Amino acid sequence: MLPVRDDNPQVDTPIATYVLIGLNVLAWFFLQGFGDEQTLRSSVQQFGLKPGELFSNEHYTGQWSELISSMFMHGSWMHIIGNMWFLWIFGDNIEDSMGSVRFVVFYLLSGLAAAAAQIVSDTSSMIPMVGASGAIGGVMGAYIVLYPKVKVHMLVFIMIIRVPAIAMLGYWMGVQLIGGVSSIGASGGGTAFWAHVGGFAAGAILVWFFKDEEMLLNHPYYGWKQRANPADIWQDPSNRQ
Amino acid sequence: MLVDDETVLGISGYREVENCDGTYYLSWTYLDEKYRGQGLGKKMLGNVLDRLRELDARKIFVKVSDYQEDGISIYAAALSMYKSFGFEVEVVGEDFYDQGESQTILGLEFKPQSDEIVVADEKPVIRFNGLFEIAETDGAYTFEWIVEKSTGLFGKRSFSPEDLEVGIGSVKEQGGRKIFLTFPSNLVLIHRPLQAVGFKYVGQLRDYYEEGLHELHFSHDLEGVGELSE
Repeated sequence: MLPVRDDNPQVDTPIATYVLIGLNVLAWFFLQGFGDEQTLRSSVQQFGLKPGELFSNEHYTGQWSELISSMFMHGSWMHIIGNMWFLWIFGDNIEDSMGSVRFVVFYLLSGLAAAAAQIVSDTSSMIPMVGASGAIGGVMGAYIVLYPKVKVHMLVFIMIIRVPAIAMLGYWMGVQLIGGVSSIGASGGGTAFWAHVGGFAAGAILVWFFKDEEMLLNHPYYGWKQRANPADIWQDPSNRQ
Repeated sequence: MLVDDETVLGISGYREVENCDGTYYLSWTYLDEKYRGQGLGKKMLGNVLDRLRELDARKIFVKVSDYQEDGISIYAAALSMYKSFGFEVEVVGEDFYDQGESQTILGLEFKPQSDEIVVADEKPVIRFNGLFEIAETDGAYTFEWIVEKSTGLFGKRSFSPEDLEVGIGSVKEQGGRKIFLTFPSNLVLIHRPLQAVGFKYVGQLRDYYEEGLHELHFSHDLEGVGELSE
């Protein structure tokens, strides 16, 4: 199942979404060698988040910056393409609900929360975690809160079906949760499930503080029910000449 | 201009409204007192409307006062003449020209306008950048406003109730009696601030800017005089 597009309208040019995608792609090209195996491995080791390193006394420089740098690193072509695809489809509508500058802060905070969740799940891990997935999980959490009923077009095998965002993202969330629980006790690489879940939860909470009611006013898909038109206040006889 | 030999008997005219789709206002139509009641006014207005039809006009508006002299409404004849041409009353601004003298705006569709056309909402940032006393009125003010297209990097801020209060305060200082504001009907951010500081909805000029895009009229009585007289 892959989301292809959504019915959400684009209001302003999503500058921050473009910039974030650009930064991820630039990092992939210049720091990760365009997927070249040698460069990829060393970049993941260098810029990835290694929880065990943060709490070790043996390293003194650089390790805390991993919290941010790891957000712009990826592990494979599929990893970066998948993440950027989701950011492209869902990021613009979140940016539309809060403005570009606030969106960048929201995105980074979601990524940090995702990192925190991953660290808490295993504080001693030295397996480097990379990827925008946590921050994008935050975008998806916000998306469910803001636009639960908007239709998302999903590619299922060769068919396109339209499902409400809540169902599509709920499915994604469920898969992450099951994966996270089943990976407890397991070791080795793979998807950072707890980062995804932590980012998602952080986004769903943070969006309440970041969203701008004025920008969402009259948005056709904002919230669970159709809001009254603001011009309707003039129907009240006391508001008429 | 209506001329009989070399004597000017009456005058009439029109002006196109800027940035609108075929919208015109008729100027005041005057006819010398001596020649009234002979159908000359009708002839003059008919000529003007024919000219507007040639110009491919879409909608025509005209403003009429209800000024009374010695208890007689001196524009009553004009009002009924406009109605006889199909003009319909769209907005009545109470106490517009002066306390007790209202402004009636009538509209006439040259091309049938559909009710089903809905113009998309817009949320531009609107800021006030001046105020002035409306021409031909005594103590009626309006605010000038500008539109900033994008909501920008931080989002927001269209005018707030506080911004309106600043303008209302200035009008009071200048001895103003009433404030009249007009906005296009697709700006969703204007309503709550206007209502919060006590503006009332007066009415709308239908299809003013283009088909489906109306001009909303609001007023604010600064002394509450109007409320007492109701």
